[in-house]
Amino acid sequence: MTRDITVGQFLPGQSLLHRLDPRTKIVLTLVFIIQVFVSKSALSLCFLIVLLGVLIACSHVPAKKVFRAVRPMIPVIIFTALINIFYVSGNPVFHYSFIRITDQGLFIGFTLFVRLTALIAGCSLITYTTSLNQLAAGLEQLLAPLKRFHFPVNELSMTLSITLRFLPTIAEELDRIIDAQKARGADLSSANLYKKVHAYFPIILPLFMSAFRRAFELTNAIECRCYQGGIGRTKMNVLRLSRLDYQAIVFFCVAFGLSIAFNLYFPTFF
Amino acid sequence: MAIIELRDISFRYGTGTPFEKQALQDICLSVEHGAFIGIIGHTGSGKSTLIRHFNGLLRPDSGQVLVNNEDIWKHPKQIRSIRFQIGLVFQYPETQIFADTVARDIAYGPKNMGLDQETINQRVREALSFVGLDDSYLDRNPFRLSGGEMRRVAIAGVMAMRPAILVLDEPTAGLDPEGCRNLFDHLEQYRRKTNTAIVMVSHSMEEIAEHVQRVLVLDKGRIVLEGSVPSVFAHAGILNQFGLDVPQITKALLGLKKKGYPVDTSAVTVDQAENELLRLFEGKDDE
Repeated sequence: MTRDITVGQFLPGQSLLHRLDPRTKIVLTLVFIIQVFVSKSALSLCFLIVLLGVLIACSHVPAKKVFRAVRPMIPVIIFTALINIFYVSGNPVFHYSFIRITDQGLFIGFTLFVRLTALIAGCSLITYTTSLNQLAAGLEQLLAPLKRFHFPVNELSMTLSITLRFLPTIAEELDRIIDAQKARGADLSSANLYKKVHAYFPIILPLFMSAFRRAFELTNAIECRCYQGGIGRTKMNVLRLSRLDYQAIVFFCVAFGLSIAFNLYFPTFF
Repeated sequence: MAIIELRDISFRYGTGTPFEKQALQDICLSVEHGAFIGIIGHTGSGKSTLIRHFNGLLRPDSGQVLVNNEDIWKHPKQIRSIRFQIGLVFQYPETQIFADTVARDIAYGPKNMGLDQETINQRVREALSFVGLDDSYLDRNPFRLSGGEMRRVAIAGVMAMRPAILVLDEPTAGLDPEGCRNLFDHLEQYRRKTNTAIVMVSHSMEEIAEHVQRVLVLDKGRIVLEGSVPSVFAHAGILNQFGLDVPQITKALLGLKKKGYPVDTSAVTVDQAENELLRLFEGKDDE
């Protein structure tokens, strides 16, 4: 049941990817995704896919797990790809009444499929190899320069950490309330949509009540500890870039450089 | 005849995952009409898992749950009808209150049973009186009641289904002593009046000693001790081994015995201990 929801999907490990600094991973993932989307050359795209394969191998995350992350999105990806197949102009290869498929459309549809799959696989890879706390810490430090523009970075990361921390608690609470209302004969399996929505009121309402109660309790607890935002706060675990991070950055600079070069010198798909 | 009978129930959590855990193993148990049974056990001993098997919230991996001599999993689609016969009150039941008036919240169970409005109204009033609240509460906002009152409204919500067994998971957790006493008085009256069996999970040995007739001790998903209150609390050593204890007053008597006083340590309530001590002193006077 809801107990099975994995919030985040961190798989603890000691692989190369696990040991990288979360900031390195966030930035490199972002650059990778941008590359996957702007690449116009088949060679460059193939190169990036191979790179992704190498990274998955380095991460010690079973390929099955990565596939499991992609799987729920496949219908959406296929739908998006199909729309493109039908709507891109070019030389028609198939024509029947209003349906017209062009060679350009086929290629764009197919590459979009590849791009979106790579996007999700790439994102899943970083969440598999980085704990949520690390991700939050990495994000906080990456956004730190925005403080200059009065952007509440500390508060944002605090909110993020609290949200992540309480998701499993709320999931547990949800389980408990569902059981309690089922014990009073709640019928949640009704096929009728209206009835189904109605049946969930006695579950959602207490869930909100308890979420608010928890929030108030937490606010009190935080205030009692004199929290006042990020002013003067230090960290117990300070993130430091290691030699491994510099090696990874150099490696990726070369890889991304190659990818750009492929785009420049072999710019077509054919 | 037993209302509910558990035959060799075993249950595992998370089968096929790294978090797999044997939660219950070979549990046998039966509850008769009007019985008052207590379940004690260390945190994580399987108490809550066990009571979730009573009304089919969990399905055992092996073994049978019989209600009125019929396997409740024979027709899995009709499991809902079992839930009206076996009333389950979870820990902190007041957190499941959702309606804007007390009456509407208590009516939730009877309404799910498909009763007509008149019967529902009657059941709501009846249940409210069982927990010692009068009709003036009917139209009040449950969220503005005190914690103890909310708890009683929540329990009334289950009583209104007129179950044959009322199962309570730590019904007094977080209540003050006055609230606890009050709740038990009403539970006892309710049991006498309706002949409903009560099964109670508790951490308080005093509560168990004072109110129940039969005790089950759970440890790591197994029943390790079972019997009448004095017979179970006679095993202070075994209970300690399972992270449990005997009632404080029994402890006091055990202490006296250790110092060489010839007391009978089978007393588990303050009243019994008082009689025992008086007997002891009277005996001395005679000498």
